[in-house]
Amino acid sequence: MKTLVRIALAVLASTWVATAALAAGPSYRIEVAGLACPFCAYGIEKELNAIDGVERVETSIREGTVIVTMKDGTALDEATAKRAVKDAGFTLNGFTQAGQ
Amino acid sequence: MVALAAAAGVATDARAAPQTFNTALPVGKGNFVFREQFFAFEASDDPSPADRDLNVRGSIPVRGYGVTSDLALFGILPWLGKELDLTTPGGQRISRGTNGFGDAQIFARYTVFQKDMRGSNFRIAPFAGLELPTGEDDDHDSLGRLPQPLQSGSGSWDPLGGVIVTWQTLDYQIDAQLAYKANTQANGFEFGDEFRFDTSLQYRLLPRELGPGVPGFLYGVIEANLLHQAKDKIGGFNDPNSGGTRLYLSPGLQYVTRKWIVEAIVQIPVVQDLGGTALEDDYALRVGFRGNF
Repeated sequence: MKTLVRIALAVLASTWVATAALAAGPSYRIEVAGLACPFCAYGIEKELNAIDGVERVETSIREGTVIVTMKDGTALDEATAKRAVKDAGFTLNGFTQAGQ
Repeated sequence: MVALAAAAGVATDARAAPQTFNTALPVGKGNFVFREQFFAFEASDDPSPADRDLNVRGSIPVRGYGVTSDLALFGILPWLGKELDLTTPGGQRISRGTNGFGDAQIFARYTVFQKDMRGSNFRIAPFAGLELPTGEDDDHDSLGRLPQPLQSGSGSWDPLGGVIVTWQTLDYQIDAQLAYKANTQANGFEFGDEFRFDTSLQYRLLPRELGPGVPGFLYGVIEANLLHQAKDKIGGFNDPNSGGTRLYLSPGLQYVTRKWIVEAIVQIPVVQDLGGTALEDDYALRVGFRGNF
């Protein structure tokens, strides 16, 4: 019985993870020139999070990059990302789609 | 009282920044930044028979707003508590003082040069503004009107300006500021104009190696503040017991996270070339925090 419960829980969990992954939209890798401190990173994240459709923002200060994941059915264009980084006071140095 | 001006030297930006003056790092468009700094200042090395001992405690709240990523507006309204102990010519030890809001400062800072590179940036940003007579400048105690330097406010409208240069990398940050404040006359008294040259080095102590994400940074800080103040004028005449040049060296620590910063620094006078019996500083201690919202 215990085994059956475990299997059922595992199936439910994997279904939830798969659903969440499928529900996420495309992700983009943004290179930010000038990013050099944690406080500045938060300023950039705030501007990017304010864009419609953004689901998640993950910064790597060492790499000077931000991965922006969009909600399902939305997309991010380079001009919008560039404006957000500029409004935070920094410079967009690269913009590539990182995954679907 | 030159020392008081130095002790009240204001760091305004809420970025990783110097603790005794400003930085050229940006305030995001439409964003507010907040900073609160508490300070304690003491000056007791009095060459005169009055054996004066001045204590100043206060807080310096700063608000900043990014109109654009290049143009930021700042407002500062300090709260000051001043107490001066001295010996009268008759040999009696007395204490005089006051507390209340000091003179507010408002100014604009504009980034005229910006070079962003991977993991580093360089900026030049001039600023200009005004110190407003918001502090009480006609306070009295049981002995009568307080001397002007002991008032919370100056009563005068004082323009100020300067330029800040910042070079920031992942490992360290260097800031430098040149600033001038032209003090004007009020109540028959005019504080001497102030010239400042400030420098700061912040070096990342922890983490030694950067990992993934955005870790908190612990910076070791060393700052230097050179302050020259012209002589005060009383009734249009120079006060020989005022003005002079001071140099402070200031070690400190600063912990920076994505959303907040805590910091502390001690300003130690290493050179004091003052006019007449102007009171020499002992130290100034600053403790503060900043928030990003």
